[in-house]
Amino acid sequence: MRTIGLAATLVLGATLAGGLAAQDVQARLDGRVSPEVQRAVQGIAADAAAHGLPVDPLVQKAIEGAAKGVPGDRVIAAVRALAGRLGQAMAAVREAGVTAPEGDVVEGGADALNAGFSGRQVTDLVRVSQPPHDPALTLRVAATLSALGVPTTQALQLVQGMISAGRSPSDLLGLPGQVQAGVARGATPAQAAAGLARAAGGAPPGRLPDWVPPGQRKPRNPHKP
Amino acid sequence: MTTGYHPLVKRLLDGELSLAELPPELRAEGEEALHLVGVADRTPVALSPALEERVMAAVRHHAASRDPVSPGNRAWRWLNTPRDVELRLRVRPWTVWAGALAAAAALALLLGRPAPQPMPGPQARGSTRDSVLVRFVLYAPGAHRVAVAGTFNQWDRGAAPLVPAGRSGVWTTTLALPVGQHQYAFVVDGARWVVDPGAPAVDDGFGRRNSVVAVTAHGAQL
Repeated sequence: MRTIGLAATLVLGATLAGGLAAQDVQARLDGRVSPEVQRAVQGIAADAAAHGLPVDPLVQKAIEGAAKGVPGDRVIAAVRALAGRLGQAMAAVREAGVTAPEGDVVEGGADALNAGFSGRQVTDLVRVSQPPHDPALTLRVAATLSALGVPTTQALQLVQGMISAGRSPSDLLGLPGQVQAGVARGATPAQAAAGLARAAGGAPPGRLPDWVPPGQRKPRNPHKP
Repeated sequence: MTTGYHPLVKRLLDGELSLAELPPELRAEGEEALHLVGVADRTPVALSPALEERVMAAVRHHAASRDPVSPGNRAWRWLNTPRDVELRLRVRPWTVWAGALAAAAALALLLGRPAPQPMPGPQARGSTRDSVLVRFVLYAPGAHRVAVAGTFNQWDRGAAPLVPAGRSGVWTTTLALPVGQHQYAFVVDGARWVVDPGAPAVDDGFGRRNSVVAVTAHGAQL
């Protein structure tokens, strides 16, 4: 009897939450997209919410499309495609051991998939993003590197190398800009990324040359008794 | 003239060391310092009673001028002066326990409340809440209106207009953006969407491109 009561409470809670999410989506789309797009996006968002996917990116994409004057059917197609990527990203993030990922991480995973990364690579990027690194940020940086023309395998290696070398999240965020600067100097995106990967092996700015990331053992100094 | 004594000589003057304990090379300096201290006039100075009376009168006058005893001041002083107050209560023990339990329950409710959910609206595409001022610049000669729209302002074409810098064709604006990565584009004359030529761009899902800005705690990086 107690189990039935608990289940009923959970179902009621989920229904109420779904209803609130639907109202929220409707309120945010009101007057910003056409009624046709609004109805379609509400349906896609409700389905996404039922699967535990973040709804905000879908709403944002619909608003973006409408603001840019994109025809309604293309907006709906883009929102539907994004919902699909969010689902794939959710699976990839869970594969990395994150059982209840935050919406931001799933959205970052969808960005990375859109940029050409495979689900396996998304899993690897999440797995390597140990604190202080935020998986959402790691995924977005990787996606931007790929958008700049850095091959996904190389972008993955570069990001992994930076994190394992103890570089900060700010250093990671600066990577796309550095690749772009390299390209402006005449290098290909792959060459620019390779140069950054080599530099990532060294000490970060402000550290002594023999600096090692926290948790790693310093090599023995032969001059010390 | 000696401008500064060695620290050991200063300790000698403070009585922490004796002359014999100083190193030989410092003894001459120590003797000189002791000599100077010795010749100082150590006769006690006695102040005349008249001077003391004048000083105290001046102090009283100063205090009175700073604190005129108006009725308001008097009332405030009466309210503010600490007094011993004895409060006697006759209570039944169960009322004390009931009050304590009610206070504990209120505290538990307060601490157990879930954290407020973020409001729907523009969100940082990173994770931290710090904001950084980011300057957007576009060279658009001949444009009548330029704005920047992106994930940080719900793609609102009117939310962040750029201002022309004279007649140079350069348009600028500065926005406070949360740390993280944001997508955006410029809107020229309310209709033409233009990517930032100085920033990386990603596919927007509609067959166009969005510019990307990475905002770190140290500033924006394109």
